[in-house]
Amino acid sequence: MSRRLPVYLLIDTSGSMKGEPIESVKVGIEAMFSTLRSDPYALDTVSISIITFDREVKQVLPLTPIDKIQMPDITTPESGPTHTGAALEMLCERVDSEVRKSTPDQKGDWMPILFLMTDGKPSDLMVYKAAVEKVKQRHFSSIVALAAGPKAKTDELLLLTDMVYQIDTMDGTSLMKFFKWVSGIIEEGGKSIGATDDLELPPPPSEINVII
Amino acid sequence: MDDQTTGMQNLDALPVRLPNATQGKPYSHASMRLPKTEGCEFTLSGHEDAGLSALLTECEDCYELTIEGTPAEPGDYAIVLQCKPAGWQEGDPLAEKRMLLMVNPNPRLLWRDIPTPENVPFYKPDRDNGAIAADGGKRVIAASQRGRSHAQEGKPRDDHFQLYHNPDSGWYVLAVADGAGSAIYSRRGSEIACHEAVAYCKSRLTDAAEFEGAIAAYQCTDDEQAARKAVGNHIYSIVGNAAYRAHRAITDEAQVVESSKPKDFATTLLLAICKKFEFGWFIASFWVGDGAMCIYDREAHSVSLLGIPDEGEFSGQTRFLTMPEIFADTASLYRRLRFGIRPDFTALMLMTDGVSDPMFGTEANLNNPDKWDQMWDRLQSGYPEDGIGGVDLDSPRAEEQLLDWLGFWRPGEHDDRTIAILY
Repeated sequence: MSRRLPVYLLIDTSGSMKGEPIESVKVGIEAMFSTLRSDPYALDTVSISIITFDREVKQVLPLTPIDKIQMPDITTPESGPTHTGAALEMLCERVDSEVRKSTPDQKGDWMPILFLMTDGKPSDLMVYKAAVEKVKQRHFSSIVALAAGPKAKTDELLLLTDMVYQIDTMDGTSLMKFFKWVSGIIEEGGKSIGATDDLELPPPPSEINVII
Repeated sequence: MDDQTTGMQNLDALPVRLPNATQGKPYSHASMRLPKTEGCEFTLSGHEDAGLSALLTECEDCYELTIEGTPAEPGDYAIVLQCKPAGWQEGDPLAEKRMLLMVNPNPRLLWRDIPTPENVPFYKPDRDNGAIAADGGKRVIAASQRGRSHAQEGKPRDDHFQLYHNPDSGWYVLAVADGAGSAIYSRRGSEIACHEAVAYCKSRLTDAAEFEGAIAAYQCTDDEQAARKAVGNHIYSIVGNAAYRAHRAITDEAQVVESSKPKDFATTLLLAICKKFEFGWFIASFWVGDGAMCIYDREAHSVSLLGIPDEGEFSGQTRFLTMPEIFADTASLYRRLRFGIRPDFTALMLMTDGVSDPMFGTEANLNNPDKWDQMWDRLQSGYPEDGIGGVDLDSPRAEEQLLDWLGFWRPGEHDDRTIAILY
């Protein structure tokens, strides 16, 4: 079996995402799939998993090669908390069981990439802070967080990664740009063969502001 | 509600999803079971657009629908299953199930080959090959090809190789290096590593009477340990220093090139020297990084790796010649050196991970002579199923054939590929 580039998408599906925001996210993800399916390198290597989080945390798409992916159903509850911490817990558990490490008999996967998108802040802050430390032990080559919409907080996301981006509105155009950029990072990720340091990111689109 | 209506409603509610297809690859999906309703007539449309055929087989309590064929064009196809209930007339409603069939493009057809602009710093040709004529002894061929992932973006080849042979002294020197994909000037790093290491070995092997005396003594001694140490010291001094000179040359280059650090030139290095004596072939080597270097003996069904590839938990993690810790202490450098005498062998091979990963994949396979037999066979037979020719080792064009052979296909393996073979 050939080596995969595992990509984990963590998507906030809390009540506030209901309506246009979540629909825009879905369209963005589908567009990203479509972009990756037309890239020969991605088609050979990229595998994607989607974990959604609101009160409940669900892996709606187990780690699946890009050519086999079918868009999963993504739904949002009416209201309720945002269990970002629990989502990171599940992420670590899934990475441990799904991502292959090198052994004498098996070639390991490429280091995984993580994208987290939220429009709020973790309701389970204690769990979140503990889970951030666990995530850091999982050797992600890149972790990118997107704080989307006016209520999204960046302070907690900065604990997870220094690559935190912000968009002010949750409309289709902004999210599409973000997912297009994400596709670029994934395409770039598979090609940085031999990288031991963090991946070089392509420059972000102008609408997204880097938080330092 | 009568049976027919129920059947029609069920049709739309059937949890049917068609697995994705791939352009040019045979597709067959047979798990679609349809409810059996008396007098119901099923029709399928849309599949012809995708170049597929549909087949309805009757089972005891259901119909089974098979969609099969080889899709010619990628895209999203809407496939519609319709059911005409018994007694249906023009204008009556039809039960309908719409399904999406996604046909992925064939990845092989998406690759582009964009030449590297010649004005990039430290330009090198995208393809290269070289050879040393047999000269009554063994022959050397080498080839290096830019990976498809680089060709797709018009980016330069990061690998390098260099060969040297002195017909008077009989010494051969082979070097292969793989510049790290993440380092901006790694193509220059691999080039310097090969040039410096080979140049240093060349200077030390032009008149190497003392070294050769130590080898001869080692071969016929009673006190093996002392003789081994003597040869080891020479290897350390010649091959070890060659690697160190290469390391230093890269460090120097990083000081000359504006705002660059040695890690911008990160490269692996596989270096081997060898010579035929009347008692057999003497071979010595240095290896840092991944890839593979070995002595392969077909008749004895054996393979001896000339070191241990530096690999981490994940793919792509390795060590580089540019890392200071490689030369931090003599013991760690010494561990990277190997030498030995062989009566004869089939081939001495040096390759970057662009070749060894698709060929072997794991360290266990690298140590398995069966896998080397397979590679040796494939080298000569090529991959006719993919239109890739083999290498006729006796041909005067063997090095050109080797370069073409490096274009073999393997999903997800599109790194630069470089190999040097002494045989």
